[in-house]
Amino acid sequence: MSTQDKVTINKLPTGVPGLDEIVGGGLPEFSFNIIAGAPGSGKTTLAHQFVFANATPERPALYFTVLGESAIKMLRYQQQYTFFDPAKLPGSIRFINLSQVVLEQDLGSVLKEITKEVEKANPAVVVVDSFRTMVRKPESEMELQSFIQRLALFLASWQATTFLIGEYAEDELRDNPIFTVADGLFWLRQTTERNSIVRKLQIVKLRGQDSVPGLHTFRITDAGVQAFSRTFGLTARKRNPPSGRRLSFGIAELDKMLDGGVREGDSVLVAGSSGTGKSVLATQFIAEGVRQGEPGIVAVFEERPEAYAERATSLGLDLETPQKDGKLTILYLRPLDLSVDETMQSILDAVQKIGAKRLVIDSLAGFEMALSPGFRADFRESLYRMIFALTGIGVTILSTVEVDESFTEFPFSTYSISFLCDDILRLRYVSIDGQLRKIMVVIKMRGGNHAKDIREYEITSKGVVILGKRLTNYQGLISGIPVHGERSDPQE
Amino acid sequence: MTPPEMRDLARRLLACEAVAGESSEPAESALLRVFEKLRQSLGTFAGVDGFQSLAFRALTQAKSEAPGLWAVQVDANGSLQGLGELKPQQVKFEPQLGSDKDQASEGGVILIARLLGLLHLFLGEAITLSLMRNAWPGATFDDRVAENGRES
Repeated sequence: MSTQDKVTINKLPTGVPGLDEIVGGGLPEFSFNIIAGAPGSGKTTLAHQFVFANATPERPALYFTVLGESAIKMLRYQQQYTFFDPAKLPGSIRFINLSQVVLEQDLGSVLKEITKEVEKANPAVVVVDSFRTMVRKPESEMELQSFIQRLALFLASWQATTFLIGEYAEDELRDNPIFTVADGLFWLRQTTERNSIVRKLQIVKLRGQDSVPGLHTFRITDAGVQAFSRTFGLTARKRNPPSGRRLSFGIAELDKMLDGGVREGDSVLVAGSSGTGKSVLATQFIAEGVRQGEPGIVAVFEERPEAYAERATSLGLDLETPQKDGKLTILYLRPLDLSVDETMQSILDAVQKIGAKRLVIDSLAGFEMALSPGFRADFRESLYRMIFALTGIGVTILSTVEVDESFTEFPFSTYSISFLCDDILRLRYVSIDGQLRKIMVVIKMRGGNHAKDIREYEITSKGVVILGKRLTNYQGLISGIPVHGERSDPQE
Repeated sequence: MTPPEMRDLARRLLACEAVAGESSEPAESALLRVFEKLRQSLGTFAGVDGFQSLAFRALTQAKSEAPGLWAVQVDANGSLQGLGELKPQQVKFEPQLGSDKDQASEGGVILIARLLGLLHLFLGEAITLSLMRNAWPGATFDDRVAENGRES
């Protein structure tokens, strides 16, 4: 069968920011879906968003309520969300209470009532909330299975996209006929981790659709549910082939050490202890990009954007003007209970908004500290996903990381994230001639012929300035306590 | 006290139904029809029990303002009972509405106004008016009526 012979499944907008990407571009039309989760996990809100996004006067949505939350109270609360448009009631969205039928009659009568309303309204969307209360009565398993089967068949035949909402526990996932019949199963979870609430969403199944697997963070705000895809919405984008272009730091000697500069689309890690000039280097990198017409984003966690820009001014770098011109955004991210995916989404939104080519994360330690404890376990994995996604579309990322200064070791990072980086630049203190001086070395440069030199540098009013030639008169420089050698500089 | 804007809206609904009915029929017939339309409309989405609860609460509030409603009851289905016992002095001519058909019971006005007031309280103006428009498709409900208690 050729592609053109295959049926096209229309995808409906979910009305939930971020969820379309997770479900593979939208919800399959005429699908029969379950939204499952514990009380308070956002099931009803998610269904409302879908309903408000898709209901029209010609093809309305029927929202059947059963025994759970009363429709009056539900509407009272739901109308607080910004997506809620009261003008859609009752023309496009009709609420129908089935409690009486469920309480007094059998499932056959319930089906008859739903059938009657569906035939009358010809809806595009049908929601049953809560379906769980409807099937809690002691029916035989066969009767229940038959009811679900007939309901699913009927609603699909009437070209309705359906959501059944139910309070299910995870251990009910197996051997439940409703989950077998369903085309889509959305599972919402809410757990408490220390002082934070972590909400996660999983598409357990979605027939005919290439949904993003795994657990996705979501948040409920006054705009309703917002989901954060594990792939940050970048899966659909084609990875750019490496351009081979080199990006300058604006420091000629450092560019030489990097064989002409950082390769476009690389992830660079600048590691060093406190005061070694990591942020100064990062600022020079972003300022040089702006100077060359490459928009940039700086994500800061440890100081305010104004302070960051002021410090740049003291180095002779103007970060104020490009901010006003929309060429530079300094993001201050200190949310206390945001998930790592939400924080990264803020960065991604900023990157996409101004078409950033360079991104500075200053610093990874600050980033991790800004997250609530429950999310820190996901930090490395999420960082990996974000770096992979952004570098794939050609954004060059420079991250700074503080490492403990040791005179017996030479660590690159305390986060074991060096595998995430194409290039590693290490800054450190070294004791020479009774002075605490600074040296830098390019540890790694994927696919590049970087210099092996250990170079001394200073932080001046012009930023990082690399001094003279490589240090050749000392042995054991990277230990921090070098020994003066006897031989002369071979370059001289 | 019933808010004046709710009384105004209630009067309009009762007037609508009075116009729709026979001129010779008693004023409580209009009240019954308004109440029945609200029962049908709200009962569909709030359920019989949901409507019954609201109606019972509205009636309790209304009785404190209009003692003539003492014999009126809301039954388990949310229907009004005992309207025939409404005292004659509770039936009042509304001169500004013009004709015999525009007669409405003041007690009925209070009862309907209380019910609308509860809807307004729980659902807000926009949804309340949407529900009214759905139940009375021919009538015009301007948002400012509810806001100011006056027709635009």
